[in-house]
Amino acid sequence: MIGNQVALLKREFWEHRSIWAAPAAMVLVSVLLATTSLVVGSGFKEVVNLAIVGASNIDAGERRHFLVAVLGGFTIVIALSMWVLTVFYCLDALYAERKDKSILFWRSLPITDTETIVSKLLTAFLLIPAVSYAAILLAQLLSLIIMSVWVSAMGGSPGHLLWNAGALFDSFAFAFLFILSIQLWLAPFIGWFLFVSASTKRSPLLLGFLPILVVPTLEYMVVGTRLLSDAIFVRSVKLPLFGGERLSELIEDGRIEVAAEMTGILSLIDVGGYLTSPSLWLGLIVCGLFSAAAVFVRRYRDES
Amino acid sequence: MTTLVTAENVSKRYGSVRAVDNVSFSIEQGKILGLFGPNGAGKTTLLKAVLGLTDCEGALSVLGFDPFRQRKELLRNICFIADVAVLPRWIRVEQLLDFVTATHPNFSRSRVEALLGRTKIRRNAKVRELSKGMVAQLHLSIIMAVDAKLLVLDEPTLGLDIIFRKDFYADLLSDYFDEERTILITTHQVEEIENILTDIMFIHNGRILLDSPMESLGEQYAELMTAGEAADTARGLRPLYEREVFGKSVMTFENVDRGRLANLGEIRVPSVADLFVAKVKGATS
Repeated sequence: MIGNQVALLKREFWEHRSIWAAPAAMVLVSVLLATTSLVVGSGFKEVVNLAIVGASNIDAGERRHFLVAVLGGFTIVIALSMWVLTVFYCLDALYAERKDKSILFWRSLPITDTETIVSKLLTAFLLIPAVSYAAILLAQLLSLIIMSVWVSAMGGSPGHLLWNAGALFDSFAFAFLFILSIQLWLAPFIGWFLFVSASTKRSPLLLGFLPILVVPTLEYMVVGTRLLSDAIFVRSVKLPLFGGERLSELIEDGRIEVAAEMTGILSLIDVGGYLTSPSLWLGLIVCGLFSAAAVFVRRYRDES
Repeated sequence: MTTLVTAENVSKRYGSVRAVDNVSFSIEQGKILGLFGPNGAGKTTLLKAVLGLTDCEGALSVLGFDPFRQRKELLRNICFIADVAVLPRWIRVEQLLDFVTATHPNFSRSRVEALLGRTKIRRNAKVRELSKGMVAQLHLSIIMAVDAKLLVLDEPTLGLDIIFRKDFYADLLSDYFDEERTILITTHQVEEIENILTDIMFIHNGRILLDSPMESLGEQYAELMTAGEAADTARGLRPLYEREVFGKSVMTFENVDRGRLANLGEIRVPSVADLFVAKVKGATS
């Protein structure tokens, strides 16, 4: 079972190159943007002077805030791209093997349909987040190195300004929890897209999104309620990782800034509240039901 | 002799259509069975039932397993080629071998390396970069490296040229087949494999028309070439099928005394292809 899963995960890695190519591209883009902004910033003498003069004067809170903003930016950008990647991966995961008819080869091996679907789930919940997390760390470390070179070139102290600012572990841990919690929170969508991928004969992208848009609209028009739209759209932006607050609200009202300076952004995260959220578990159950349906379809569908 | 496959009253419906209609048969170890039928006869459905790819009514046992409900256990001792084109095109040969090595307990990496060593297939090539013949060679090499009791080949050489087809079956016989192993083949190219078969089975409209060892065909069936009054007399013996060849009548008979036929013209054992046509056309008429 475990040996099969390792082999199946390798298969996903080989087959879906975007699992590593997309995060790698995001790292490249992020680091290029960071470098460009520093080069452009170097053109402004005042900013440079501020950086040099202020290097020893900036207090620890401000240094932490600066680093959290920069490093957190990488986390959010790569996390968003991870979710886009996950959607496309799930829609393709069980459709591609039917499209190229290789499903008959895969099914000629002593691997159950359940094992195959589990490997797709593990890819969505573990492999993609793991690669994305590695990409975040790489982007953060590369940008820190580039900033260090820049600060040194300006006569500042990178050790004092950046590396000893006390925000690195905070940012790394925040990225880890954020990445993992997003995937688990959006589990029902992962299950749904896998089911669509297993069952549709064509256009998985269209058939994956059309019901998500049309059914809540029909519900509102016919019944007058918004239960489905709340379940789908509100859920997708209301990650219960920050004690009932949205990340965007924390950024807008400056609480994340205060936390970064004073206590670290990890203090905003409520892991207990997240894990005990009924919505999280309900979402995982929905994911399980869609995944079971995908197993059923793969097993009983006639591929000839 | 060990019986590997036992089917009793097996049926498979698709809506109101019975693709396989109440068939019963058995396959013994060490046989090479050719399963023939016209398009839509139910061959592939029957093979899929044997491979556990589809559920069916009736009692079907393959290597002692219920193929649909114990597919994983079954596939450790059975392997199949459904079509030469089914290998995933994006995968590299090396990755494919790694995957099968990791997932198939009866797969021999050293054996497949030896088999592939005779070909021009590069390990770092992607399947999409290989010619159709190379893909078939690769697939067959993988299959032959599995220590399986039953090998199922469904149109394994479809779309390949005659030289490759001959080599394919020659390799199968020389490198794979022995008395411990059993092969079940379906193909429309009957003439190319009849010499390697030990048994044949004809299926038509979901029903089995013929299930016989090759060696018994000569006792059961005869083909008579005749003309004139002798032909009229022969028709009285109720041939399965009659066709015209160069102005003469060629008739296929089942269980008719060869001595009586010998007096009416030239007799011989029908080829599998001719017997197939005779049985199918006879059944249709």
